[in-house]
Amino acid sequence: MSYIVSPDVVKYACTCGLLKPISCLYFCRYCCELRCGFCVCHEVDSHFCGKCCENLPSSEARLKKNRCGNCYICPCCQQELSTRIGSKGPSNPEDPKSTPKKMYYLSCLYCRWSSRDVGIPDQGAATGGWPERENVHANRLQEVIEGYKAFITAQRQQKEREKKKQRGKFISYTDRTGVTAAALRKRIGLPAEVPNTYYRNRPKPPEVAIAREEVEDFPEDLLTKALNLMEITTIDQRLLQPDLQPTTVDKLFPIHKQLSIKRSLRCRSCEHNVSKPEYNPNSVKFKIQLFAYYHIPEVRIVTVEPLRAGKTAELILKFTNPTQHQTVITFLPLDLTDKGGDGDREVVGETQSLNLPEKQPPSLGGQPSSLLSLSSRQPSITIKPRPIRQATNCSIAIPGSKVILPPRDDAAEYDDSGETHNIQDDTKLVVWRKSNKAFVKLAVTPDDGLELNTEIVAGFTMQHIYTNTIATTVENKEPDRHDHNVRVFLSLGNLVGSE
Amino acid sequence: MPIYETLSDRLTVVLDIGAAYTKFGFSGEYAPRCIIRSEVRCKKTNQVRRIFDFKDEQDLYDLLVDFIHTLYFKYALFSPKDKPIVVVESLLSPTLFRETLAKVLFVHYEISMMLIVPSHLVSLSTLGAETALVLDVGYIEAVAIPVCFGLPVIHAWQALPLGAQAIHNNLRTLLSSENTGINQLPETVIEDIKVRCCFVTKQKRAEQFNLAKPDITFAPEVKYPIGGSDIITISGKVREKVYEILYDEDNDHLSLSTMILDAILKVDMHLRNQLAENILLIGGSVMAPGFKARLKDELHKQLKYERYKKLRIKTFKFHSPPCKENYAAWLGGGIYGATEVLGMKALTREKYFLENRLPDWPNMRDNRTL
Ligand SMILES: [Zn+2]
Ligand SMILES: [Zn+2]
Ligand SMILES: [Zn+2]
Ligand SMILES: [Zn+2]
Repeated sequence: MSYIVSPDVVKYACTCGLLKPISCLYFCRYCCELRCGFCVCHEVDSHFCGKCCENLPSSEARLKKNRCGNCYICPCCQQELSTRIGSKGPSNPEDPKSTPKKMYYLSCLYCRWSSRDVGIPDQGAATGGWPERENVHANRLQEVIEGYKAFITAQRQQKEREKKKQRGKFISYTDRTGVTAAALRKRIGLPAEVPNTYYRNRPKPPEVAIAREEVEDFPEDLLTKALNLMEITTIDQRLLQPDLQPTTVDKLFPIHKQLSIKRSLRCRSCEHNVSKPEYNPNSVKFKIQLFAYYHIPEVRIVTVEPLRAGKTAELILKFTNPTQHQTVITFLPLDLTDKGGDGDREVVGETQSLNLPEKQPPSLGGQPSSLLSLSSRQPSITIKPRPIRQATNCSIAIPGSKVILPPRDDAAEYDDSGETHNIQDDTKLVVWRKSNKAFVKLAVTPDDGLELNTEIVAGFTMQHIYTNTIATTVENKEPDRHDHNVRVFLSLGNLVGSE
Repeated sequence: MPIYETLSDRLTVVLDIGAAYTKFGFSGEYAPRCIIRSEVRCKKTNQVRRIFDFKDEQDLYDLLVDFIHTLYFKYALFSPKDKPIVVVESLLSPTLFRETLAKVLFVHYEISMMLIVPSHLVSLSTLGAETALVLDVGYIEAVAIPVCFGLPVIHAWQALPLGAQAIHNNLRTLLSSENTGINQLPETVIEDIKVRCCFVTKQKRAEQFNLAKPDITFAPEVKYPIGGSDIITISGKVREKVYEILYDEDNDHLSLSTMILDAILKVDMHLRNQLAENILLIGGSVMAPGFKARLKDELHKQLKYERYKKLRIKTFKFHSPPCKENYAAWLGGGIYGATEVLGMKALTREKYFLENRLPDWPNMRDNRTL
């Protein structure tokens, strides 16, 4: 599978206009369109702790501020801390026979930081009871937030009352523009001394903080004492604990480990999932995985002759059919203007002048069960695809004949009999085939006048017959087969000089 | 049921994208969940790119899509779709940036509503105050704006390119004169040297710097390890001098202290003393050791000059917000986000698509009392 990480020499154009290797694409079987991480809707599926693998319901995760209650990370280097057994004194000093009591502390196996470094006492239980620190300003901030809440609520109620009173009356110019006389006075810098009922009746905002003439004194120590860098925290260590931002290492405290999530991906056009993981954090499997790799024929470059400007070279591509159904590949010239699907759908493009699509929220009938729980969900906005920016500088001679690819047969991998499916191939096009794979020979010609070492990119539209098994309803036994076009871009390497 | 009543128990994200650091968390909480660098790793080139180094609108859109994805799915851990957001933003934020951000949030992430609050104004809510002079020393620039009775006096604003970026450049220059290979050091290392070794010195000592024979002993030097093998020396002179660019007056006699005084000068007479006695300093750079003490001394020094004598200011008083200064504006946004203001003033998705414009601060139509 090394091609997943290797340079992406073969790219497919996603419906949204971005070019991606096939390993990064999804295929929505309901829309019959390619989708990618950019154009699907991401959703948080489940929360779990990456260390202890505990699964948390989202309400609990929210309560715990997305952090695991039991696992900690190192405030120095962010690695996970391990619980270690410290002192083992007898639990009752007078009775030497009493069972020894274990004490625990936290330690980082990576940078050797330990909870003892900062004076946190060892704990009797392995699972925690570690001291939690509160924000020092918590009381004051609570007061401020409550004060503002009450203040704004009263302001709204006052406005509603005024609105009721004014209904039917003449509306003054300043009210219509949303600028009250009081606000105007403020704007031009006059004190708002208006003895308006609006101002008299409003509840008091939170008590105003008092400014002081004294500021933090200059730390004279800095001028005389040598600075020990090991005692000063780095900016990353400080920002790891935003409310404390300790400047010295003796104030670093263990940090609860942040939870991880599993994500599901949803097609924005039809609201179906294209990827949904299993709930269990230990499982790496998926409930739904509509990866393009399982549905779209894969193209790989086998060989290409040295490329010279204006000279025709031979290119051999390998096509693989990943599906259980026979398919036929037709070559078409690249059409960059083609907008792909979604043609009849309302789209929001660059101008954003269109209204929101008037789609109905998913109803109970005819929708997959995964949508039932999401009754409050609004339908997605479909974004207009971008024009493809990739330029090609090499032409491909489009062959007239088609290539038939038999269905994938896992057993055939072990079959050396060389059975050939009896396919009448155009021998000029297909040079070799085995089970669901075919090697195809194409002629490519880099454009004239290109400079040496220019990267050569060629493109073509691959039309393949897609057999949709989902659309098969009870009354219609025939699987739905139709043509699907994919635009494929090949990076063929750099231009070389003449022989 | 009116919409704002159901909002209170909803999770509202509060986002403050700074030029260097982004503060991100939930409304009603006392501190942001994370403060991270405003940058993303480019998938194609595998290089880290700053959001504010964007090339054009499309580039910024893509950078923001990647960045906000990280914020929601790595830190907030919940889906942005159909959820409200509070965005804290500088009054001087470029239009292209705010409009692209709104587009990313509404079109790509399909948020339900967005409330944009001006950073200088909302920082005051952490104090419960309505009138103060707010000086925000950020990465690119320092901006002073007086806020009177809950309204920013925009015509009095002052801005200078005095921020962390200028300090970093100065530090690089100063270090280069004593060491080699400084120009190759990434900015994160320069920042680390600044944060861990440098400080704002006292006014009396700073006056000596420009004399031919300074009558002071500089602070002890620091040996700073680079990459595990090299060591550079950071002399006491560099440690003390690096912040001086904030207080040295430029050719137009402008510095941090004159910004504050000029802003006060542009406000009505009656309010001047009240502003001078209610100064709020926010932004990461004001957290440098010695910063506030020095600023106070500099302000008093400026008062002696003719330009500011007419202010008749005797005392300066400073607020200490109930938070670290680098997230004071975020906290203010969080306080607003916890109230019903969200339901009353936020721009809904429907309205965004209908009007295809954002409320703008200088626009009278939108400038109702926040
Ligand atoms: Zn896509
Ligand atoms: Zn855990
Ligand atoms: Zn560690
Ligand atoms: Zn779909």
